[in-house]
Amino acid sequence: MADAIEKVSPLHALAEPGRFGDTSGEPGVGLSERLCDSLVQVQAWPDSISALKKAVKSVTGASIKPGNAVATKGDVVLMSTGPGRWLVEDETDDLEVRLRKAIGADIGAVTALTHARTVVSISGERCEWVLASGIALDFSADAFPVGTAKLSHHHEIGLTIHRTGDQAFDLYVVTSMVRSFWGWIARASAEVGYTVS
Amino acid sequence: MSGVRLTLRPGVGTSIDTDKTLTFSFDGKSYEGHVGDTLASALLANGVDIVARSFKYHRPRGIFSAGSEEPSALVTLRSGARQEPNIRATEIELYEGLEARSQNRWPSAKFDLMAINQLPGKAFAAGFYYKTFMGTPGMGTKFWWFCEQFIRRAAGLGKPTVDPDPDHYARMNAYCDVLVVGSGAAGIAAAKRAASAGARVILCDESAEAGGSLRSACEYLDGEAAQDWVKRELAALAEHENVRVLSRCTVQSMFDGETYLAIERVADHKLRPAPHEPRQRAWTIRTTSAVIATGAIERPMVFGGNDKPGVILADAARRYAREFGVSPGRSVAVFTNNDTGWLAARDMARCGVIITAIIDTRSDVGDAIREAGAETRATIHTGSAVLRAKGFQTLSAVEVADFNETTNTVGSNRQIVACDALAVSGGWSPAFHLTSQQGGKHLTSQQGGKPVWDSELQAFLPGEATSNWHGAGAMAGKFGLRQAFRSGEEAAVLALADCGLGEGESSVPEIEGDSIDYAPAPVFEVRSKHKAFVDLQHDVTADDVRLAHREGFVSVEHLKRYTTLGMATDQGKTSNVTGLAIMAEARDLPIPEVGTTRFRPPYTPVALGAVAGEKFGHLAAERLTPMHDWHVANRAGMYANGPWLRPESYNGPGETVEQAYIREARAVRESVGIVDVSTLGKIDVQGPDAVEFLNRVYSNGFAKLPVGKARYGLMLREDGFLFDDGTTWRLDEHRFLMTTTTAGAGRVMEHLEYHRDVVWPDLKVALTSVSDEWAGVALAGPKSRAVLENLFGAKPISNDQLPFMGVRELKLGGIDVLIARLSFSGELAYELYCGAHCGQGLWDALMEAGRPHRITPYGLEALSTLRIEKGHVAGPELNGRTTPHDLGLSGMVSTKKNFIGKALLQREALQSEDRLQLVAIKSVDGQRIRGGSHLVAGNRDEPGISQGHTTSTCFSPELNCYVSLALLERGKIRHGEKMFATNPVRSAHVAVEVVSPHMVDPKGERMHG
Repeated sequence: MADAIEKVSPLHALAEPGRFGDTSGEPGVGLSERLCDSLVQVQAWPDSISALKKAVKSVTGASIKPGNAVATKGDVVLMSTGPGRWLVEDETDDLEVRLRKAIGADIGAVTALTHARTVVSISGERCEWVLASGIALDFSADAFPVGTAKLSHHHEIGLTIHRTGDQAFDLYVVTSMVRSFWGWIARASAEVGYTVS
Repeated sequence: MSGVRLTLRPGVGTSIDTDKTLTFSFDGKSYEGHVGDTLASALLANGVDIVARSFKYHRPRGIFSAGSEEPSALVTLRSGARQEPNIRATEIELYEGLEARSQNRWPSAKFDLMAINQLPGKAFAAGFYYKTFMGTPGMGTKFWWFCEQFIRRAAGLGKPTVDPDPDHYARMNAYCDVLVVGSGAAGIAAAKRAASAGARVILCDESAEAGGSLRSACEYLDGEAAQDWVKRELAALAEHENVRVLSRCTVQSMFDGETYLAIERVADHKLRPAPHEPRQRAWTIRTTSAVIATGAIERPMVFGGNDKPGVILADAARRYAREFGVSPGRSVAVFTNNDTGWLAARDMARCGVIITAIIDTRSDVGDAIREAGAETRATIHTGSAVLRAKGFQTLSAVEVADFNETTNTVGSNRQIVACDALAVSGGWSPAFHLTSQQGGKHLTSQQGGKPVWDSELQAFLPGEATSNWHGAGAMAGKFGLRQAFRSGEEAAVLALADCGLGEGESSVPEIEGDSIDYAPAPVFEVRSKHKAFVDLQHDVTADDVRLAHREGFVSVEHLKRYTTLGMATDQGKTSNVTGLAIMAEARDLPIPEVGTTRFRPPYTPVALGAVAGEKFGHLAAERLTPMHDWHVANRAGMYANGPWLRPESYNGPGETVEQAYIREARAVRESVGIVDVSTLGKIDVQGPDAVEFLNRVYSNGFAKLPVGKARYGLMLREDGFLFDDGTTWRLDEHRFLMTTTTAGAGRVMEHLEYHRDVVWPDLKVALTSVSDEWAGVALAGPKSRAVLENLFGAKPISNDQLPFMGVRELKLGGIDVLIARLSFSGELAYELYCGAHCGQGLWDALMEAGRPHRITPYGLEALSTLRIEKGHVAGPELNGRTTPHDLGLSGMVSTKKNFIGKALLQREALQSEDRLQLVAIKSVDGQRIRGGSHLVAGNRDEPGISQGHTTSTCFSPELNCYVSLALLERGKIRHGEKMFATNPVRSAHVAVEVVSPHMVDPKGERMHG
């Protein structure tokens, strides 16, 4: 029998803590990375959206919000990623199983994406500037309010972006390309100075 | 021209800081300037008159303008890896240690041996290349190639460095309600008005200091000098929370959908960028509406020797005096056909410039203008024209003749006016380059419309806007500060309406200053026998334009290409309208009937680095598997397979790739090998109709695939040709995991989504890419089961519990592992999938469990070798031109159901036995079969025609010879035939035997064991 197998972040060798880039003033942004405990995609059929929303609420306790508003309750995060499709994140390790029980094939589909995404977080005064330098979204607070999520990409790299605060975003990055993405965001942050924690 | 620094006092040298002196060099000689100077103003202040040599004739050239329209004063800036040619001296901000050189000359700008090019004179006129080298008997293309190298050396611009660019470039995406391009009076008025209505505003200006013409204006605004007013207003705008002011930022391009590209010169005004600072930043600005307030460009007059150093645009001369405290000469004459030339003379005189003469083609000049002229104390020559500029290399005098406005001809009265600078004004051309970029009635995406000729202003104005932009100020033909402010606000109101916002507040200042008529007399050229230039940057003369007319190139597009008028780096900013006017006269047509060409993006030359942005080195994002670091640490040569990097082979010390893959493949056949298959495309297919969907997508049946089993499937395109293949695993009643080829994953996903969404929208099927969710590892070889038994125990892996094509989920180290018994190699083999973040842990566990069996990691080359030996097809055989029948896979084409591609697969031609069919070939004499070889019947001397070609080639350790899969005409019935695999490019002609593609274990006993 094998020893316990642990998750290893694809950024483990890159995201070394410290201060980088321009060090002449306060760092413009802070970067960090994390792996999800559970990240599951649920998608409803056109005639079962209400049923799926109920099922998600029964499992997570959180109610899906309209549009691209993110619902949060405790450690649960619900983000819309398309018509009738949401990402559900929490800190358990059996979310997929619970959702699959609640959402039968007649209601929708449940797909684990826990390993398919690696989360890169950016915060700080210049985070809008850094993100706008590579992602063609309007990051102003009016266009991208706190508590909303949007889908975009940095060149070929698909992104789900959740604004978690006035000056904070979580970016769910396709795992196999997260090193390329980290390379970009570190280069983009160097102009304003950044920390990695 | 002998430029001099004027006595600096209030109103003279408003843009420079005389307390701060800078040292710079030009052509190796050291000079001094001030903070705020441009290289051009500093060179003028130091009396440097010749700064360049012209493109074709190597004529001496000086500073002609004060902005981005500069056609002559192009220099090479910096040295080493940062050397950059063809930079306009008029736009270079002076910095300490600046290093610039003149270009296109040898040995120096003052003494250039290549000036010999002037001697052949008209031989080098328009069409020289065509007439000399095209179609001339005995002078074919090779003769042109021979001469071209010398011509290229003799004519041209500067040379770039070939060293890698040490700087980096950034990009920025910006969004706003109103983009204002240009920060002169109209731009500021528009920005203020838009901001007052709450609009998000971006104000861009190409100069270091925003303000446009206000920076050198003599008017007073609200009782304040224009320079002070503009500084205060811009500071207020910059503080406005809704306004972003971008200086040193040239809006280069207008695209569809209100999208603009601007290039910000972040660090070009420094010796080098600060650490981590980009050199330039490319802004993609998406706006709801735009106000284009880009001003106008002064036109020169065409007369003999009008390119001589000392001839300068009048408003530029005025700006040098006002902003930089520099006189373009010690004795300055002014030649004009409009009132602005007189005011330029007056303003220069007020700065201390000595004006010797004002020459105006018009006889009738208003009293106010005459008063302005009188203030200069210059000699006034109305109804006169400059016939030619005189001087050896630089201007020493002008020959003035009386001028008949009706006939546009000169009279016999001549006089010489001594001067070392001639400030010329031939009217103004609105700078509607941006809107023109999208012009043309035939284009559905037109934004700029066709330019409209204004006979009073003698200028083209922008056409009607068909998208959300609004012209303001001189760009829209609204000259003078009063009209500029008013039109800026009017444009802002229209832009605000586009945004659905209110009108905002008006704040036009009280203007105290001149009120003049900007309309010029319709004089573009004063004809003489001397060489007179229309396009200074490309050395196109007025006679070249007339020559084009005589030779039939009368269309403006033909004129442009035949003479290269307007085709240089300045896109003819100072020459286009004049060239058209001369052509119009030659054709005896009104100017608008001759037409006008269209400006293309960018407005000014752009560094390639700014376009590339942060994309350098490897141009695409790399996809890495969870075990990437392990592969690299264990001597794997990494190989790009689609977007992924995969191990090619694990090369031992001194081992070649071929030696390595043979060792690896042999280890698999003899014991057990392990390979990273995380890169395979993986698609989660779920839903009550998932099985029906798969049954329609694959050519073979999936309706009866039991839960816990996998099946190999073939996908066809609609036209019946093979598209992709892979296995699909039934995980439960309504849930499947589909695998695809590594490189084909994206297109398979698109194919599936298209059919789900468009063709069969009634099916309830969810498709999700899970390629990144799973790490995949394949174990292959007779000992692979033994390895798994070490980890999972014997029972779960037994043939009963996990038969061939069986799928099951097991636990290992606390994680879920999906195991499928599949074989690509033909050996007993398994694929194990787990969550990607645990992939390295699974790999380590398998390596440890396989240690007793000397488990060998293998890469793509060995993977390919194993499947070639087995006769399994892959990308080279699924090349878009083969059918299942061609590849011996007819048994996988269902006759009982419908599937994508079925109808067209049944075409007679695709069923023909004459088609190329899959075979294998073996080298008969041990020679290597080269990839890309053709199969022929004859020997090296008489090979005959190609009857087929190789697709996948390797050395087979199992057969101990080189083998290849191949596509051969009627291949199925030709097993045993002797042929040759020929590759003339590599001088290979190898005797081969055609054999069955199933070279190893044709009965499949190993993988079923």
